[in-house]
Amino acid sequence: MSNKKKILVVDDEQDVLIYLTALFQDNGYEVITAKDGVEGFDLAKKEKPDLITLDITMPDQSGVRTYRYYKGNDELKEIPVIIITAIGDSMRSFLKKLSGFPEPEGFMNKPIDEKTLLKMVSDLLGKS
Amino acid sequence: MVTPTNIDDWIKNNLFHVIPMAIAVINQNFEIVFANKTFEKMFGRWEKKKCHVVYKNKDVHCVDCKGVKVFKDGVARVSEELGYNKQDRITHYLQHTIPVIDENGDIPFLVEMSLDITETAQIRKEYQLLFDQVPCSILLIDRNFRIVKTNQKVENTFGNIIGQNCYVALKGYDTECQECTSGQTFRDGKMHSGNHVWKTRSGKRREFLVSTVPLRHEDGHFDLVMEVAIDISQTLKLEDDLKIANSFMESLIATSIDGIIAVDMGEEVTIFNQAARKIFQIEDHEKITKEKLASMLPKNFLAQVSAGLGHVYLPETEVITMEGGKIPVRLAGVQIQIKGKQSGMAISIQNLSEIRRLEHEKLEAERLAAVGQTVAGLAHGVKNLITGLEGGMYMLNSGIEKGKTDRIGQGMEMLNRNIHRVSTFVQEFLSFSKGRKIKAENCDPVQTADEVVTMYSAKANESGIKLLHEYDSYIAPACIDSESMHECLTNLVGNAIDACRMSDNKNGKNVLLKTFEKDNAIIYEVIDDGCGMDYEIKNRVFTNFFTTKGLGGTGLGLLITRKIIQEHGGKIELESEPGKGTTFRITLPRNRLPVPTCTEES
Repeated sequence: MSNKKKILVVDDEQDVLIYLTALFQDNGYEVITAKDGVEGFDLAKKEKPDLITLDITMPDQSGVRTYRYYKGNDELKEIPVIIITAIGDSMRSFLKKLSGFPEPEGFMNKPIDEKTLLKMVSDLLGKS
Repeated sequence: MVTPTNIDDWIKNNLFHVIPMAIAVINQNFEIVFANKTFEKMFGRWEKKKCHVVYKNKDVHCVDCKGVKVFKDGVARVSEELGYNKQDRITHYLQHTIPVIDENGDIPFLVEMSLDITETAQIRKEYQLLFDQVPCSILLIDRNFRIVKTNQKVENTFGNIIGQNCYVALKGYDTECQECTSGQTFRDGKMHSGNHVWKTRSGKRREFLVSTVPLRHEDGHFDLVMEVAIDISQTLKLEDDLKIANSFMESLIATSIDGIIAVDMGEEVTIFNQAARKIFQIEDHEKITKEKLASMLPKNFLAQVSAGLGHVYLPETEVITMEGGKIPVRLAGVQIQIKGKQSGMAISIQNLSEIRRLEHEKLEAERLAAVGQTVAGLAHGVKNLITGLEGGMYMLNSGIEKGKTDRIGQGMEMLNRNIHRVSTFVQEFLSFSKGRKIKAENCDPVQTADEVVTMYSAKANESGIKLLHEYDSYIAPACIDSESMHECLTNLVGNAIDACRMSDNKNGKNVLLKTFEKDNAIIYEVIDDGCGMDYEIKNRVFTNFFTTKGLGGTGLGLLITRKIIQEHGGKIELESEPGKGTTFRITLPRNRLPVPTCTEES
């Protein structure tokens, strides 16, 4: 196994997947992708990524439910999650109010500020 | 032949017999010894009969015989007697009994002269009856205001008050009344009348209308006044009640928010209240003819009310003002009948302009709210687009930096794709926010739905989805913008088909469009047994540029649908359960539907 940190990018938009994959790869991370929450959940269990970025408006299962799945799963709950969303701060306060679940480790509004995102990722991965 | 020379003989022999009085001569044995022809005509045969037999058909002396008294004291007497005439009918007669006195002072005979007053007595009796029984109180008052005579009615009401002063007996005063109606008549000899409150013997105070007339003698002078009094307490009370009811009704009509109009059977408009003037924009002083009124009301409205249809109610119609403008109103007309006979019509008019304005404002507010939400959603959509563009830029820049041609191509592709999305977005958003004016006209609600189902049948078939249209056999035409409604149903049916295709188990899926009318509202239901929606999605479907279809949707379909439904005065609701399916329901109440855009009066 390489010693590169592994990031799982979950987003329903192909363009975002391509973008974030390129961005993270260019900054020395290994990237795996999933185009919806269910696929991401299975992949996360299999691949045990070091960090997950999660889009919150997605088909099949909404991002919120996916987030609850991740944090409710003993195997996955320790993996830091960065929520990436265009919905804005209302989603952030909604997630904060969710009882029984920890706040997401990171929160990123679209459009993505590359520097802030990369710093957030390196901070979270440096900790673990 | 009677001549001046033999007049004395005529008087001696004839006058006695033709005098219009029954004359009989009676001896001390009370036998009739002589009688004239008039007597015979009245009482029949008399020769050698006793007077009581002839007069009274009695064999014995009368108890109160005047003859006995006159024989005794020689004083003439007058008395009223009752006897029997020769037809045995009771006869009322006035009898003068006169003694015939000889030179010795003895009374050998009596002369009895009788006048038949049967008729007069009858009339007198009738008058008394009338006097007592007339339904009013009658009193005779003298100049000292003493009651001389009363009728039965007075006695029944006030007791026997003859001899008392009227002001004491009737009012309980010590002195004469200040405004004395009898006094006026005593002073000027004329008839007067006035209202007086009298106390009955049971202590009740009653209001009387009193008329006083002088009872004149032949020479014109009078000492008595007749008071005729009618109890008008009840009448006055009714009058008061009527006045109160009337003024209540008048103020009700005057201050009514609704227009109130009344017309009689002729050409008169009898009531036209302030509210009605305001609705029709008619000046206060201006008079309204029935003809003018008919021309301002809907055609034939008055005729319909008058035609005995009773209550004519038009919940939504228009009237024409003096200036020729049209005002939306609610009209009710009713025939006024008095004892089963039509005597006029009453019309009530409610001005709906204000309600219409508020309804319009509410729709407008709802539209603006939808636009507001849309703008908020726009930010979300734009953010996603920018992310796509940024991604493209990153790929392009980093590709150029690193000299990776495939990355440059990928970046260009991403930029192109997202630029295309931006333009689609902008177009749809513009068409949404512009608020295309709906073009409503009467159309068949079923037909619109049927067209949508036909349009989708091929696509549904392709995906193995059963698409059906269920509808009421008859729904009356409704004023709908069929093109817009077509778009709504296209959105909903399209969504339903997509939901079926996104479902885990894609076999045997159904989409049902139901068109029916319930509680005066047209209802479209689009029911699918597709993937359904969870709580978060349900809450967001109408609020944002929300899509679950990735690049396949702009997230505007349901927003546009809702906007069109709102413009039709309706609402859209959804029920959904993940894995089970979704039902969208459009409800269009008929009374909120738009008016036809091209004004064609049907």
